[in-house]
Amino acid sequence: MQDTWSGNPEISRMKSAQSTDAEAADAPAIIRIDHLTKVFSSKTQTVTAVNDITLEVKRGEIFGLLGSNGAGKSTLIRILTTLLSPTSGSAFVNDYDITKDQEKIRSIIGVCPQNYTSDLELTAYDNLEFYGKLQNVPDSILPDRIMELLAMAGLSDRANMPVGTFSGGMKRKLEIVRAFIHRPLILFLDEPTIGLDPDARREVWQQIMMLNKEHTTIILTTHYMDEAEKLCGRITFVDRGRIIALDSMENLRKLIPAGDLIEIGIAHMDPLAEEEIRTIDLVNTVTVVEHNVTISATNGSQAILSILGVFDKYRIPVISISIRSPSLEDIFIYLTGKGLDSGNGEGNDATGPGRRRSQ
Amino acid sequence: MMPGILKSAVAIFRRDIKKFLSNPFIIMMTLLMPIMYLVVFGNAMGGTLTHIPVGVVQEVPPYNDTPLFTNAAYQLNHISQGSENDAEKLLDVTIYTDEAQAKQDLANGKISAVIVFPSSVSNDNAVRVYVDSSDSVTPSLVEGAITQVLQGLGAKNPIIVDKIYGDIKYLQFFGVGVIMMAIFSATSFGGGLALIKDRENGIHEGYLVTPIKRSSIIMGIIASGTVRAFVAGFTIFWIDLLVTGIILQSFQDFLLVLLVIFIACVGVTSLVVSFASRFSVQQEYQSVIVFLNLILFMTSGAFYPVMGMPGWLRWITLINPEYYGVHALRSIILRNQGINVIGIDLIALLIFSMAMIVLGVVTYRRTLE
Repeated sequence: MQDTWSGNPEISRMKSAQSTDAEAADAPAIIRIDHLTKVFSSKTQTVTAVNDITLEVKRGEIFGLLGSNGAGKSTLIRILTTLLSPTSGSAFVNDYDITKDQEKIRSIIGVCPQNYTSDLELTAYDNLEFYGKLQNVPDSILPDRIMELLAMAGLSDRANMPVGTFSGGMKRKLEIVRAFIHRPLILFLDEPTIGLDPDARREVWQQIMMLNKEHTTIILTTHYMDEAEKLCGRITFVDRGRIIALDSMENLRKLIPAGDLIEIGIAHMDPLAEEEIRTIDLVNTVTVVEHNVTISATNGSQAILSILGVFDKYRIPVISISIRSPSLEDIFIYLTGKGLDSGNGEGNDATGPGRRRSQ
Repeated sequence: MMPGILKSAVAIFRRDIKKFLSNPFIIMMTLLMPIMYLVVFGNAMGGTLTHIPVGVVQEVPPYNDTPLFTNAAYQLNHISQGSENDAEKLLDVTIYTDEAQAKQDLANGKISAVIVFPSSVSNDNAVRVYVDSSDSVTPSLVEGAITQVLQGLGAKNPIIVDKIYGDIKYLQFFGVGVIMMAIFSATSFGGGLALIKDRENGIHEGYLVTPIKRSSIIMGIIASGTVRAFVAGFTIFWIDLLVTGIILQSFQDFLLVLLVIFIACVGVTSLVVSFASRFSVQQEYQSVIVFLNLILFMTSGAFYPVMGMPGWLRWITLINPEYYGVHALRSIILRNQGINVIGIDLIALLIFSMAMIVLGVVTYRRTLE
């Protein structure tokens, strides 16, 4: 699907530019955010949804904004897409000031909001046509472009069916290609796979990667770790409106003590046993939450033998064992002291790292 | 310990009351509604007509005024209506010298009646009255006033009344107003609600991030609302003709009716959309719309001649698009008048529409805040 039309001269210029994440690392910034703050005030309370955020997104990368529900991701996206104005601070999208050049920004971005925004009564084709016209896609190429996008979303055979009859995954894919109808420079995807089944999620991921290959910068918010790991070049953790980490996946991994994570399910715990496990050479940390023990160890498969020996000695029945490399979620928990699903929960209420989290 | 069934009922009760109290705007509107009925409905319906413009003229020759003419003209101009304290003039008398001119003004709706006095004072000569019969109240009031004055002067002249538009039934008078109501209903459920639904369902979050301008949103919605309203108005127009048995005089009249309905649709739709551009909750919008529907329809003159309303209520008619619509439609359908009479209504409607479009664009929230 080579360009027959490019709405932005910028894009043509970028065609010769980078595409891989490694190259993107050296790319110039396309979004610059400087000490951005957003405060929502009502009679009864004040909420600081975005708290003094400073960051840069580079041209051509897939940038991940991660955080639990209510962390401020969507608010940040809404500010960058001109739907909300910041309380203080500044931000520039492709050198356009978000408080002054909203009009220009709107013509170079594509946005797929968190909630479905398609007209359910209209067909997939009609929905795309509506947005094509709003985005000033020339009438001469619009029909072809729509069919191309429908094919991309795997919805060609559903073109003339009302969107209301679509499954959640189909709607979501339609919204993503809709955001791309005018070949925007930057694509904002707010929780693109929320509420989708695993198959649908994989398809959406493929779609996102395909769009990125077309040199589109993608900003993605999610609270799914696997999604960020799979898609994003650089990731920023947002918690209570603040950035708590921003780096590539590789560098983020270095943040937590090296080694493997061992999870052991047990019937009950003996404080003496816990103490003895801590003294094992290879063991770095031990966390006990109810009937789960999580141990970070330098060499998991070696350490496990000594650990099981301790449980045996104290006659503690072991129910389950697993060893794995730390995931993004473990890093998140390490940094925030809570799991991603916990919302605004207090303290460490995670039942342990690595819980399965596909919907 | 409360029994389960009662506990749940109390829970429902508390929830409903909490929701009710959480929206002071709707509470206010629900209270405002009966007050409006009391004040507006009462005044718009039961009012006594005052200041009915009539022309008096004396037959020629001779060219000098008879005492009957002079006295009658003076007394007609000083008949009071209503109670003693706030007595208001029933008729505003204009003296004409030319009968043809007076009839011309009557045909163009400038005056509601022409009273022609005979040139000789003989009791045999009749007083001719030409009266605008497009509403059912004016003819009897004018006739009654003349009878009263002539009796007072001791004149025995017979009165010949010519209802220039024939006997128009109240249903026919009222039916024209219903066309405007159809337009308002169609547009409030169409154009305005479409905008609010988009906002309430979050659909507008999708298109507000496109380069679409506020003016495009408002104009597009007014255009679609106008089409819906036109279809409704046109349909009710036909039904009105069938039910009331009115026959249009010419094809030109028919085209004029279409023009008036169309421009009235633009006016009413702009009004509704400009209101809708501020609201984000259907319930709030609907409570305002019901209120607007009532006050606009009441003061449009659909029920009762606007002349019967107290002064303060008549001011509302000046900024009421339905008033101009009803007046223009009645002029064409009941009085067979042309563009020279309804032109002013159309201009008023267009000025009103422009103002509302500007208001709608300015107040439309382009962001989510």
